[in-house]
Amino acid sequence: MPIRSWREIRTIAFLTLDTLFWSKKTVWVALISGLVVGLAALGRIVADLAWVRVPFTPSQAFSTLMSTAVIHFLVVFVTLFYGTALVSDEVEGKTLTYLFLRPIPKTKIMLGKYLALVWICSLLVLPAIIASYMLLYLRVNMQPFLEDVGRLAADLGIVFLAMAAYGGMFALIGAWLKHPILAGLLYGFGWEGLVSYLPGFTRKLTITHYVQSIFPHDDPAGALAMLVGERTAPGEAVLTLVLLTAFFVAVAALVLREKEYILEQ
Amino acid sequence: MSSVVQARGVSKWYGQVIAVSNVSLELAPGVIGLLGPNGAGKSTLMKLVTGQLRPSQGALTLWGEPVWNNHALFHRIGFCPEQDAFYERMTGGEFLRALLGLHGFPDAEAARRADSALEQVHLMDARDKRIGAYSKGMRQRVKLAQAFAHDPELIVLDEPLAGMDPLARRETIRLVRDWGKRGRCVIVSSHILHEIEAMTPNVVLMHNGQVLAEGDVHHIRELIDQHPHNIYIRCSAPRRLAEALVGYPDVVSVRFHADGGALTVESRKPDAFYERLPDLIVSNEIDLDEITSPDDNLQAVFHYLVK
Repeated sequence: MPIRSWREIRTIAFLTLDTLFWSKKTVWVALISGLVVGLAALGRIVADLAWVRVPFTPSQAFSTLMSTAVIHFLVVFVTLFYGTALVSDEVEGKTLTYLFLRPIPKTKIMLGKYLALVWICSLLVLPAIIASYMLLYLRVNMQPFLEDVGRLAADLGIVFLAMAAYGGMFALIGAWLKHPILAGLLYGFGWEGLVSYLPGFTRKLTITHYVQSIFPHDDPAGALAMLVGERTAPGEAVLTLVLLTAFFVAVAALVLREKEYILEQ
Repeated sequence: MSSVVQARGVSKWYGQVIAVSNVSLELAPGVIGLLGPNGAGKSTLMKLVTGQLRPSQGALTLWGEPVWNNHALFHRIGFCPEQDAFYERMTGGEFLRALLGLHGFPDAEAARRADSALEQVHLMDARDKRIGAYSKGMRQRVKLAQAFAHDPELIVLDEPLAGMDPLARRETIRLVRDWGKRGRCVIVSSHILHEIEAMTPNVVLMHNGQVLAEGDVHHIRELIDQHPHNIYIRCSAPRRLAEALVGYPDVVSVRFHADGGALTVESRKPDAFYERLPDLIVSNEIDLDEITSPDDNLQAVFHYLVK
């Protein structure tokens, strides 16, 4: 892609990043991310109390945190709030005109915005995971910490992939619908939450299924899902997530290009 | 001179609401005033011209090319929207440089053009101040600046004088006239006749989504002048003034207000009336407090034209 194209996408990304970061949503997202770290801290405190006989290791605590609070809640929450806002905030704020009246294709506008989305989600989620890992693992005996660092790296990669896919889906919902939050909630916590546990082919119509298929941790929800069906092979799951992401972003770009946005006076 | 904007049978509707109805226009370089009361369809037509909306029917082209999704055309178009909306955390300079960057200008050129535009709207002092801290007039000026900073051939301004102080209004009117003289096509909308008259004699009158009249503003004035024009005058001696006025053939009626300090005159020739009024005031030793015309806005004009 020519340098000028990247400049345009980068400008859009920076504009969007600034708008998203300084919005009220960031306060809520930071609180929720902080809550995850708080849960890790609580787990550490409980584990360190000599008079409490806790049957879990740092690895088990971290696995539970990742498979419940992070994958099934934090990732969906963060991508929902920012993804649906990519276009709808500019429509509501009536600033979309300024972007649409520039000589750049609307598809590039969506690409720039999507990059900002991935950027800000990574900024607010990945450090929370790293902080949680350190809180749970850092001890005098550093062996478990060092042993599981590879798994942490894999977790970060999986979370990034999950955020990319969910972000694409919510960006599409935000570009398409006038009031996207409700639809996003229904999709993120309704469809994804329920359908991924149904037997048969329908579970493959969720992002959750593919994320669970590559998730290395013991996952109570995933174990439940396995009772009613198999996981997809990891390689296939990663490829599907990448293709789904590309598909959602492409369709979102198409919607942005073809839809008329009425900025109410 | 070849036309810039060509609209043929253009209509735009939203469900049951017809915002623009069967508009056919050809606009050449120069300044064109788009006049109409609120809800006339001016903003919708401007959004159609600038490719923000797609016609429901008909064809609209710029320089012979369709506008919708034709992003290459936007190098040549500048638009100043009516709504007061910005990226509030950006400074005026950052805002302009970012938008100029999206036009493909390198950083140094974008900075130069941004400064030049801000200079022209007298906002250089506030260049590094956040737009969120700007006054209403400053916001309107920076909005105007982003419309012309990239030196477009077609500049579309939706109510550009709203919120501006008299000095800024004068400067903006001067800018618009200069652009017209330099061969730009400038479309300016307003619901205030004298604002448009100060910028151009060429007007298009809209009402209920339709073009009612187009051409020289004096011609439209003549259409208006066929109907009596109301002028409200508050002065020290309304009855003495009325006595002086009733002898003139263009004066249709005189009504006195209940408080005894004002009168409303109905005249068929408002220009002639305004010309003779100062002499009458002076010769009859009358103190004038206020003179306004409820008809000096387009609501009344359209009321007459659509009757």
